[in-house]
Amino acid sequence: MLDKIREILGDPADFTSETMDNGYARLSICFFPGMCDMDQLKDAIIVPFTYRFDPDEFRRMLQSSVAFMKDVPFDHVVDYVLKGYVGLEYEGEIFVFRAIRRMQTAPDQTQVEASLQGPQSAFTENLDLNMTLVRNLYNVPELSVENFEPENMSKSKIVLLYDRTKRNETTLKEVRKRLEALDKGLMMSAGQLAKQLSQAKYRLFPITQITERPDRLSIHLNKGKLAVMMDGSRFAVLLPVHFFDFMYAMDDHYEPSWMSRFLIGLRYVSMLLTLLLPALYISIVSYNPEVFRVQLAFTIDGSRAAVPYPSFIEVLLMLFMIEALIEASLRLPRSVGSTAATVGGLILGQAAQQAGLVSSIMIIVTSVVAISNFVIPNSTFSYFIRILKYAFVAVSIFAGLVGVVVALFMLVVYLCNMRSFGEPYLALFQSKAGKASN
Amino acid sequence: MIRYYYYHILYVGMMNIMVLVPYVLISHRFNGAVSSFPLAIVFGTVYSFVTSAVFQRFPGLGLPEIYKLFLPVWLANCLNLIGVAVWSTAGVIVLFSYSNTVGIFFNPEASSYLNLAIMAAACLWAATRSSRSVQFTHEILLIICSPLILWILFKAVFSSWLDWDAIRLVAGEGIRKPPSMTCFFAATFVFSGHMNITLFNRLNPGNLKFRLRWTIPIIGAFFLLVSFFVPIGFHGTQAVGNYLYVWSVTTDSLMMKYGFIQRVLYLFLLLYTFLSLLFVMNTWHTGMEFFKACFKRYKPLTDEVNVPAINWWICVVLAGTTFAYAYFTNDMINRVAAEVWLTVRFFIESILIVLLLVFLFMKKKGYQRRPIPSRTQTNGGAGP
Repeated sequence: MLDKIREILGDPADFTSETMDNGYARLSICFFPGMCDMDQLKDAIIVPFTYRFDPDEFRRMLQSSVAFMKDVPFDHVVDYVLKGYVGLEYEGEIFVFRAIRRMQTAPDQTQVEASLQGPQSAFTENLDLNMTLVRNLYNVPELSVENFEPENMSKSKIVLLYDRTKRNETTLKEVRKRLEALDKGLMMSAGQLAKQLSQAKYRLFPITQITERPDRLSIHLNKGKLAVMMDGSRFAVLLPVHFFDFMYAMDDHYEPSWMSRFLIGLRYVSMLLTLLLPALYISIVSYNPEVFRVQLAFTIDGSRAAVPYPSFIEVLLMLFMIEALIEASLRLPRSVGSTAATVGGLILGQAAQQAGLVSSIMIIVTSVVAISNFVIPNSTFSYFIRILKYAFVAVSIFAGLVGVVVALFMLVVYLCNMRSFGEPYLALFQSKAGKASN
Repeated sequence: MIRYYYYHILYVGMMNIMVLVPYVLISHRFNGAVSSFPLAIVFGTVYSFVTSAVFQRFPGLGLPEIYKLFLPVWLANCLNLIGVAVWSTAGVIVLFSYSNTVGIFFNPEASSYLNLAIMAAACLWAATRSSRSVQFTHEILLIICSPLILWILFKAVFSSWLDWDAIRLVAGEGIRKPPSMTCFFAATFVFSGHMNITLFNRLNPGNLKFRLRWTIPIIGAFFLLVSFFVPIGFHGTQAVGNYLYVWSVTTDSLMMKYGFIQRVLYLFLLLYTFLSLLFVMNTWHTGMEFFKACFKRYKPLTDEVNVPAINWWICVVLAGTTFAYAYFTNDMINRVAAEVWLTVRFFIESILIVLLLVFLFMKKKGYQRRPIPSRTQTNGGAGP
């Protein structure tokens, strides 16, 4: 057996394959030492083989213990060994023993979705630990867990979670169908899984949500929706989602209700500001300055007096600068971080305005847009909003204020027309979970 | 689910403040406009009650399907085509007149076809969506727009510039004159939101009970009276006849002292852009669905994810008709056309009410030609 396995794997240098002989019987063993937990291997196989060497006893242990899988077809042994299992051959029979090394034993700290007063634990990259975290929070027998192992290059283990009594049958069938039909290439993150589940390339808004928090997942399951988790990724994919789910951080559950309502209102206002403010600036300054009251119109026009080019060039220039700044701050090494922020702020703000390249009102508009963008709790959604505002800018360049309003109308129609796995995306007062979308 | 019925009544009432009706009413203000109001309120309420009561008994069926139950196919298709003509021309007239209005106040130097092109493109795309999406869009946009519009109307009613003497003069004189028929036909349009149930009944579930129908005359009367009397109060009994765009100038007389936007006109026009786009989307969608119902190939779907190609063709024809109409007419011809349309619409509506009562009678006696189909199929399920 060992020769065949070594041949299939191409004799890698990190592969151990030995035949042990304790005087009574021979045991062939093969594994990847880096992927296996050596303590478990020692306690379960090597110590009994060495000290309790009676063949009857050892055979009895192999046959009766739950930890040893037998009757495994040969081609699957290689798959198991590649996942971190140990392949054994004893007296002509092939066994497989699970001794995968655990790299994490404690939940992670939340990095992307912080909360002031809620739990700070997040998912890890180990699926078993994630399942434990979920079961701890959603501790009912109705939680259903289904396994999917697609035939792709990463051989990732995917798990589908839902509450049996609350789920919607149509959505469940559709999601199962899509999980069976996943792509054959590499699958390395939950984001990729979400993209493949969404199955439409040119969508303007996400129909799945990614979270690293077990409490968010439990709330989602409690509403009768589904969750998909993948081994190796510390994010879970939640579906189906509604538009309103994206504007809602975990703190809204843990804070008093007036506070949370105020914050949700603030987020909606920020979303509208970040979407419309550059477009409104262009259309009001260049097309209809008389919309604003007289003093304000004079102030805006006065601040633009030194600027030598039309307003839309100014807007596009500043938007490009701020996008470059945001993108660069993701990749800056920590040592240069503060220098670059100071330089960016000074140059973009003070110096450009004093040189007469941009008006001071435009600086304010740009900073409001940038700050409002990050008020949105969900990062995927805020990326989409960042892109959508350029569409509004383009419309306002050609059509002014009326164009912006018509584009807003088209955005609302687009959102109302979207369906997230059968459920309407933007609809108020929808029926409760569990009833079919009717 | 009954809230969708009231959304239609609300938004047709609000639309009328601006678009077709005030010009007709105000030009007849000394010739019997006021005395036609009570008549119009009564007729409008009765028509709303009849349509809601009849359609309640045919859950899940739109008007074309009800025609097919009781009438021979050729007659049903003729009536459908008449419906298509009435609904689509409403959209065309409103789209042209509103894009003109907005062009005059926002972009006076631009070509008048630019605004029309933008709005026609948006309405074209929106009308091709499925009925359920159209309904959701209604809900969201109305919930966003109505508080602001109602606030503007209340600001106008309680403004210190509103001259109650002028209102009393016109009302006192007008109520003694015999009612004018044109005004009566125009005033009933304020209540015409109930006609939308002819299509959207396809989405209603089986056990609908219409409650709060007593609010319909109150809502209609409010919008009717406000749209007629407030411009008279602001501009005076004689001068109000000088304006072509009466309500735009009326809201221009209001002022938001402490706000960003001082002239209420701009806010008003932007909100009414939403409402007009809603109205045209609705009428074109209804016209398109009625046209599709004439052919056996197209089953009535309410929640399809991929709309059939015929939707696009019909709406492109409608948009082309609007451009042709814009080429051949101007504002004055448009107003005459609007008056003619309002009159024709009233007669078609009355015939329809009588037909609906006949259908109800036939259903009770069991004179159906075909069995009542099960609820119209939705094609929802899980979409992309």
